[in-house]
Amino acid sequence: MSQGKPPLSPSEMRALLASRPLERVVVLGANGTMGYGSAALFTQAVPQVTLLARTKGKAEEGLGAAIRQVRSPTVASRARVGDYEHDLETAVGEADLVFEALTEDFEVKRRIFDRVEKLRRADAIVATVTSGLSIDSLARGRDDSFRRHFLGLHFFNPPNVIVGTELVAGRDTDPAVADFVEAFARTRLGREIVRTADTPAFAGNRVGFKVLNEAAQLAEELGPVLVDRIIGPYTGRALTPLATIDLVGWDIHRAIVDNVYENTDDEAHETLRLPRYMDKLMERGVLGNKTGRGFFWKDEDGKRHALDPVSGDYRPQSEFPLPDLGYIGAISALHAEGRYREAMQRFAAAPGREAEIARRVVAGYLSYAFHRVGEVTGSLDGIDRIMGTGFNWIPPGALVDVLGAGTGVAMIERAGLPVPEALARAARSGEPRRFFQHPHINVGRFFVAG
Amino acid sequence: MAAASEVYVLGGYQTDFARNWTKEGKHFSALMREAVQGALERCEIAPEEIESAHVGNFAAELYCMQGHLGAFFTEVHPAFSGLPTSRHEAACASGSIALLVASAEIEAGRYDLQAVVGIEQMKTVSAAEGGAYLGTAAWYAQEAEGVEFPFPKLFGRLGDEYDKRYGLRDEHLAEISRINYDNAKRNPNAQTRTWYMNREHALCRTDDNPAVGGRIRIADCSQVTDGAVCVFLASRSYADRYARARGLALDRIPRIKGWGHNTARLRFADKVAESQNDRFVLPHVRATITSAWKRAGIGDVNGVDGIETHDCFTTSEYMAIDHFGITEPGESWKAVEQGWLEIDGKHPINPSGGLIGAGHPVGATGVRQLLDGYLQVTGGAGDYQIAGARNVQTLNIGGSGTTSVSFVIGT
Repeated sequence: MSQGKPPLSPSEMRALLASRPLERVVVLGANGTMGYGSAALFTQAVPQVTLLARTKGKAEEGLGAAIRQVRSPTVASRARVGDYEHDLETAVGEADLVFEALTEDFEVKRRIFDRVEKLRRADAIVATVTSGLSIDSLARGRDDSFRRHFLGLHFFNPPNVIVGTELVAGRDTDPAVADFVEAFARTRLGREIVRTADTPAFAGNRVGFKVLNEAAQLAEELGPVLVDRIIGPYTGRALTPLATIDLVGWDIHRAIVDNVYENTDDEAHETLRLPRYMDKLMERGVLGNKTGRGFFWKDEDGKRHALDPVSGDYRPQSEFPLPDLGYIGAISALHAEGRYREAMQRFAAAPGREAEIARRVVAGYLSYAFHRVGEVTGSLDGIDRIMGTGFNWIPPGALVDVLGAGTGVAMIERAGLPVPEALARAARSGEPRRFFQHPHINVGRFFVAG
Repeated sequence: MAAASEVYVLGGYQTDFARNWTKEGKHFSALMREAVQGALERCEIAPEEIESAHVGNFAAELYCMQGHLGAFFTEVHPAFSGLPTSRHEAACASGSIALLVASAEIEAGRYDLQAVVGIEQMKTVSAAEGGAYLGTAAWYAQEAEGVEFPFPKLFGRLGDEYDKRYGLRDEHLAEISRINYDNAKRNPNAQTRTWYMNREHALCRTDDNPAVGGRIRIADCSQVTDGAVCVFLASRSYADRYARARGLALDRIPRIKGWGHNTARLRFADKVAESQNDRFVLPHVRATITSAWKRAGIGDVNGVDGIETHDCFTTSEYMAIDHFGITEPGESWKAVEQGWLEIDGKHPINPSGGLIGAGHPVGATGVRQLLDGYLQVTGGAGDYQIAGARNVQTLNIGGSGTTSVSFVIGT
């Protein structure tokens, strides 16, 4: 499995970077969030970035957004703008890299690649930022040269802040092209590159949105305030799950979980079914932060309101009564002193129904992530790194290290979930084993106190 | 001058300098704990082996309302209770002073294994308040009181002094910043690894890159950083056992081969007045560098494969370039223009990104520099590795060129 190969060494990367030029980049779909965000990123590393959109005006809007995102007017000195009708031919014809960031729709992407295929130089690399469409399907039927130079380069939003990046080589992608893109992205764009298989939603979104969707399912019964409290930062994440869905956008959440639900059939299938209430509310225009309303919204005075998923109404957050969650305070106090092991032992033993539910979600994360090894990445390492640097969640391997394999297995068994073999083996052996081997990714940073 | 040192460096651990520990809701003690535990695990050293600990810190009393930092070391692990510990302060050179004292105790034969922690939590206060705290590294009443951001202004004056004596162009300072930011993108612990920077931005003269002190603009400055670094220093006998247990020859374990340490007068104006007839603008900094060479048996800068220098501002790196003798005094711009400072250049400076790119948790910086030197000479620096590095030199400066410490680490 190619995504299990050892990382490129610095000397390999130097040789790769010298092997071909990368000075001209074209970004297609430059007015979208991923388009302008990526364009800004590229202007740090290459002298010429052309932002293209349906109209020149839209491309200019993208450039303006890129400048605001990274707060540097110098983006403009390396950027050009244009539209598909007048400027695609010249821009793609001279590009070393064509970066596609159009809307997440197979047909839309297919149509633009029809044109790119005809216009690109034979040595030009074509990358798509798709967050889960199949790379092989997008390449199907195209000429040899296109297929060899085509791959997925999945940045997470916003790309100037989140370094975790998935590199997805298709069946026909030239390994040397994939290696070159990895070397470029690591050394010139500061990316943490994870190689993933061409499976639905790749690695990060597959594992991450499973947990997010489970939280959304739980919200129907428990309400969003309690769910985000019990699966909060103290469990190893910077942002709570439902606030994350609001940030990402409900429509994007739906597109990702529907894609996974329809195209996979794994042991946690039902946790990937979108809750009905979300569908209904989306019909009423509830799409998260971008429409002002999601699981939460803030009024003009900064007061937070929360959704009642049953009625579809919003009430001030303070009107959602919470049970006694004193155990969370005790765990946070331990986190504040950096006593993460003790804190998570306390979590494993915390009394009450809410703690039990939180453990079920955390156990589900571990079980699901470990079961995806060999399917979405060659080893746990890739899933660990993308969850850490793409989602800002504690990597599953690191969480097992903190909990201890025995405690992790017990948690999974109690939740009635399948125990991954690697974890069972580690627990049986009783030997202290370290799953997470990346000391530069500080495990402590994922445990946020308070 | 004392005989060559026999102090070995067994490695260590650095926290991710991009983290904001206040935002994580964490106390100073968590920062100390993560650095020390990370180092123990990385180096596979049992806590019971540590015999003594030294903590380098500038101003926890101001930033965190917390003193007595040596004692905090004992909070990290039950085995540390009762150990002899202490805390050392010399402004931005605090970490290096802790290293000096620890290595002196090893040379004196008092201990075989020392932990040295450099630590600073700075994001507890606003930029303006923090700027005033940093002013206490100068003569506060005379150089900093009532001045907004006193240190950029002091190092702006260093640039002015160069300009007066030799001429200085902002383009060269901007290029120094650009290189440090570029290198930081390869360093997974660097604070600015995701920040936007390129040559044009470093030269940008708009509000996106505002002036903070004379010719010093934001892109010329090191960062306000939370961070801690822990390294282990060992005697020859301990290092020998450590190497054997890992199937290594002793000469594979890096040594502190040489050190330099000088303190100049506190006020910047006095330093500059003293050097009017000298070849170097800060002759005590030069003396620190050359005495480290002498102790290491190195003739000049060609004897080291890389440098981790104190670029609190681009002007301090500009000064370091000629003080290391990479160029004649006043000609640092030549090294900038020739590309000598890049990771694959003739004289790589700050492959880590330095203080501008990697970050500058004040009391931790000297220890971070030594750890980066260790990583380079053991081939462990990952994407910012200098190919084949065998000797690396550090330069850590407290105040406006006041306390200087330099180490040569190598195998």
